[in-house]
Amino acid sequence: MLELHQLTRAYELGGERAGVFGVSLTVPKGCLAVLAGPSGSGKTTLLQLAGLLDTPDAGEVRLDGQVVSSLPERARCDLRLRRLGFVFQAFNLVPVLSALENALLPLQLQGLPGDEARHRAEAALARVGLADRMHHRPGQLSGGQQQRVAIARALAPDPLLVLADEPTASLDHAHGGPLMDLLAELTAERGATFLVASHDPAVIARADRVFRLADGKLIEEEHR
Amino acid sequence: MILPRLALRNLLRQRRRTALTLMVVVAGFLALSLAGGFMAQTFQGLSDAAIRGGLGHLQVLPPDALEGDEAQSLEKALPDGEALAAQLRRDPAVAEVLPRIQFMGLLSNGPKSVAFLGTAVDPVLEPRHMASAEALKDGARAPGGAGSRWLSADPAAREVILGVGLARALGASVGSSLTLMSTTRDGALNAADVEVAGLQDLGLRELNDRLLTVSLATAGQLLEAGPARSRLSLVLKRPGDTAREQARIQALLPGASVKPWFELASFYRQVKLLYFAIFGFMGLVLFLVVLLATANTLLMSVMERVREFGVLRAMGLQPGQLMALLQWEGAFLGLLGSALGLAATLLLRAGLNALHLQMPAPPGTSHGYELNIHFVPLVYLVVAVGLQATLQVSALVPGLKAARLRIVEALRHV
Repeated sequence: MLELHQLTRAYELGGERAGVFGVSLTVPKGCLAVLAGPSGSGKTTLLQLAGLLDTPDAGEVRLDGQVVSSLPERARCDLRLRRLGFVFQAFNLVPVLSALENALLPLQLQGLPGDEARHRAEAALARVGLADRMHHRPGQLSGGQQQRVAIARALAPDPLLVLADEPTASLDHAHGGPLMDLLAELTAERGATFLVASHDPAVIARADRVFRLADGKLIEEEHR
Repeated sequence: MILPRLALRNLLRQRRRTALTLMVVVAGFLALSLAGGFMAQTFQGLSDAAIRGGLGHLQVLPPDALEGDEAQSLEKALPDGEALAAQLRRDPAVAEVLPRIQFMGLLSNGPKSVAFLGTAVDPVLEPRHMASAEALKDGARAPGGAGSRWLSADPAAREVILGVGLARALGASVGSSLTLMSTTRDGALNAADVEVAGLQDLGLRELNDRLLTVSLATAGQLLEAGPARSRLSLVLKRPGDTAREQARIQALLPGASVKPWFELASFYRQVKLLYFAIFGFMGLVLFLVVLLATANTLLMSVMERVREFGVLRAMGLQPGQLMALLQWEGAFLGLLGSALGLAATLLLRAGLNALHLQMPAPPGTSHGYELNIHFVPLVYLVVAVGLQATLQVSALVPGLKAARLRIVEALRHV
């Protein structure tokens, strides 16, 4: 489903060369895959390349067999909107919108009819356990609840692939574990594909497939 | 409709800053619309003064009257002005025709003589259509003006109404006897004894020092004018049709020149140009202030939302949609600012007009006037559209900045 082929993206960080170098991996449909490794290992860079947020210096990103990394920006935007979902470490909800409006955002940007969009957003929020918090703004929700809204926002358009960057890093253990349980359930239940960048053992423990990175290179691949 | 909603919420997020920006827009609207209302009052006053000061809506002149030296004599005249006046009175668009004779000469009290510019008018028709009564009322308050009245309708009466400056120069007052001297149509010197019926204050010092008014019968005798008239002032039934009627009546009178009042009122034209220059410059400065203030606000708001824009772009928002978002924010600032500006303008206008403020006499005029800022919807519309356009322009640079953000850098932004 997602194939990264010999991906390279280099940049200077504090006077040193950083990034990812010649990474190839495959994430099949319905898999909860984790990019693991210490800080600076290239997890986030690889996730951004896979999510078409950045362009590789070399190599290809293929989605359902189609090379998408070389598409023009407009087409990449459209792909992100219709086929990809994102969950960020710092939640990154739009602070002036309610939980429901945040979940509605990608659906409205897709141009879905109002009733259908609302129904899907409400269902996504209900699925992550926030049926009674739909009209709260992010500032009125806990960190765990905000991250659940972010997951609902990512899942509401029913994407092919959800990319999550350190989704539990801003949460304590009491919230991080249940969140990962939720991701695992959603993967099984909806056949959704998740690619998660994390160094949290609780996240890694729930993964179907683990790709370990170090210094921008893939050093180990574990299938469970 | 997600973008307008997001834009509105973003403006409400920083209420104090949005309120300050709105105040700039409101102040711009207020200043420009009040200036527009004041200009409208001035133009209306000047056009009324020109039309009711004797020009009428249209003037019928001899064809060469405005070429070369505009002689104040009957050398250039409509030879049978009275017959032409009678013909024009039958025209369905014409309310009245006021024949006039322009002449000049010397006015003497015996020991002293002063040059004058004279206008002869119909003593019955003139007060019905022109501002003679107002000028007399003001003149009656001047020294020697007590008891001022309009010219007698009796063709045998030999009376004159003097500008207050002319009366002062000769030490004349109502009831004084003076001698008018001028040249007849044939160039011979002639004189007529007249009694001062009243003094008039025409509002302009230069006119008050030189102008006098007599009846057509008095001028006819002094100048041996016969049926000749210098010009005919036409009062139209529908003043709004002046331009169209001018063309039509000109076509009917190929031997004469028909001019609308605004072509002849040079003072009106000059003041209008001056005001457009002054207020145009002021408007430009105000639009610039609004442009800079709102661009600054929107730019600050973009800088504060870099990460948010990164998320929106990551979710698939196109760069053009981010620009549109900023355009919506500019649009709301403009709409809200203009609505509040309109309300403030109407309130302040009502307040200022209720104070009956007396404005100082404009340069060259002898008395002030009451401030009465006009209600001019077209001005409000033009100001609102101008401000809206300014705000849309001011949102361009912040919009471009937002659209050009690199997603990965925006997501890292703290």
